[in-house]
Amino acid sequence: MAMQSAERSDALPYLGYGLGLRVEHYEALRAQPSGVDWLEIVSENYMVQGGLPLTWLDRFRERFPLVMHGVSMSIGSTDPLDDDYLARLVTLARRIEPAWVSDHLCWTGVQGVNLHDLMPLPYTEEALDHVVARVQQVQDRLKRRILLENVSSYVSYADSQLTEWEFLAEVAGRADCMILLDINNVHVSAKNHGFSALDYLHGIPVSRVQQFHLAGYEQGERLIIDTHDAPVSNAVWDLYTEAVRRFGRVSTMIERDDHFPPLAELKAELEHARMLAEPLLRDAA
Amino acid sequence: MTSLQATQQQMLQAVLAESAQIPPIIRGSDLTDARSRLEIYRHGYRVRLRDALQAEFSGLRSMAGARFEVMLDKYISAHPSEHYNIRWYGAGLAAFLDYARPWRDQPQFGDMARLDWAISVAFDAADETSASAADLASVPPDAWPRLQLSLLRNLHVLDCRCNVDAFRRAADHGHPRPRLRRLAPARQILVWRKETTVHYRRLDDTEWQVLSAALRGETLAGLCECLAARHDGAAAMAHMVTLLQGWLSAGLIHGWTFA
Repeated sequence: MAMQSAERSDALPYLGYGLGLRVEHYEALRAQPSGVDWLEIVSENYMVQGGLPLTWLDRFRERFPLVMHGVSMSIGSTDPLDDDYLARLVTLARRIEPAWVSDHLCWTGVQGVNLHDLMPLPYTEEALDHVVARVQQVQDRLKRRILLENVSSYVSYADSQLTEWEFLAEVAGRADCMILLDINNVHVSAKNHGFSALDYLHGIPVSRVQQFHLAGYEQGERLIIDTHDAPVSNAVWDLYTEAVRRFGRVSTMIERDDHFPPLAELKAELEHARMLAEPLLRDAA
Repeated sequence: MTSLQATQQQMLQAVLAESAQIPPIIRGSDLTDARSRLEIYRHGYRVRLRDALQAEFSGLRSMAGARFEVMLDKYISAHPSEHYNIRWYGAGLAAFLDYARPWRDQPQFGDMARLDWAISVAFDAADETSASAADLASVPPDAWPRLQLSLLRNLHVLDCRCNVDAFRRAADHGHPRPRLRRLAPARQILVWRKETTVHYRRLDDTEWQVLSAALRGETLAGLCECLAARHDGAAAMAHMVTLLQGWLSAGLIHGWTFA
């Protein structure tokens, strides 16, 4: 039976300002944890049986609140949900007791073939029904609400009937899940598809947003490529301040997936997020 | 088939295919056309798989040099990824190199891929405790002949036709690579993890005979009989003690039972 719907955005804790945990920063983060309130792990990296990954994870669990962020749930695929994946996700969640578990509003493969990419869905009523039912299935299995993240995209489908933000808001409302709003991805998709990023923000229900991602991108010849391998751009910082004005106090993190700078540089970016958000939040209080 | 299924299947085929076909389900725009948009996913698919393989096969990369990229591209074209976790994509690379031309005639590539993969699998295999010499010393002497060793579950024994272990060790340490040579007959390389560190070493023929007997569940008396075929009684016993000390020191012995 699906979880009962309720507007309970306060059910999950506010964690402050965090970073994505990456192997490249293990030693530095252990030596200098200050300035980082919490960590987000890539779930799949720790869905293993033992060894060094789990040894490090247990060390960080002692020091930081953790959240789990997956890339392989494939919540929108028309293939069945992978039972082995869900079982491993449950096992990992039991081990580290994360503040929450998230994945992406996308599909990653079909017909048993995996593209290992965050493929956008067509924004149709059919896809909406399909995703809502599967989110409820996952939440029942995990016995907790999940967060779904908006993805960057480069294609749109001829049969889409809704905007991306309408689709995301409907999924969250009908499935009673929360939203991980990637500010960078909103900017990237807005530029690539020619919609207004502000319209997007204003189409997302405030009570559903639990977490922000901030990241960098690469400017391609015509399109913006979401690389998550560069500093946060000025355009994304601007959009972040708009997001803080609309959504208020939301757990925020810098997500870097490649071209890892020294930890101090990521901490400086995180501090910049704090400096932008805190005055706005104080004014609003 | 539902409309959503059809959309996803067309999109999948479009990303995997290297043809110029663009499915009509994808919309272009004034900014750029559908082909350029699709090309980002096509390119990304191959880059991600290539990156994942490069991370897992450092020995093979050193050995293949400039041929490594071609090797990976052929594998990617022949093997769509089927596991949800990209970390497991390389599971079939050694078998691919064993049968695909031109690498099947150069067994060092398949052997190195097998060694790289065994190291990778041992890295995050389940944690296991190892018995100590003191633990073993607590076994009453009259029970020793019936003792059956339980070896680590994360222990792998690879049949290698070339000296890939020496090559990888040199590559890992930045030393000059040894010349690759065939081993006739094939030799065995042992791969295991002690605590959080993965180790590998070549087994000599005698140790392999005794270790394989232990893996089959032979008693200590049976293992000594293996050695007795090669030594006289006292030397066989001394060799058995040396092997046991080495296995205990390497952390290969998880525990034991009695027959």
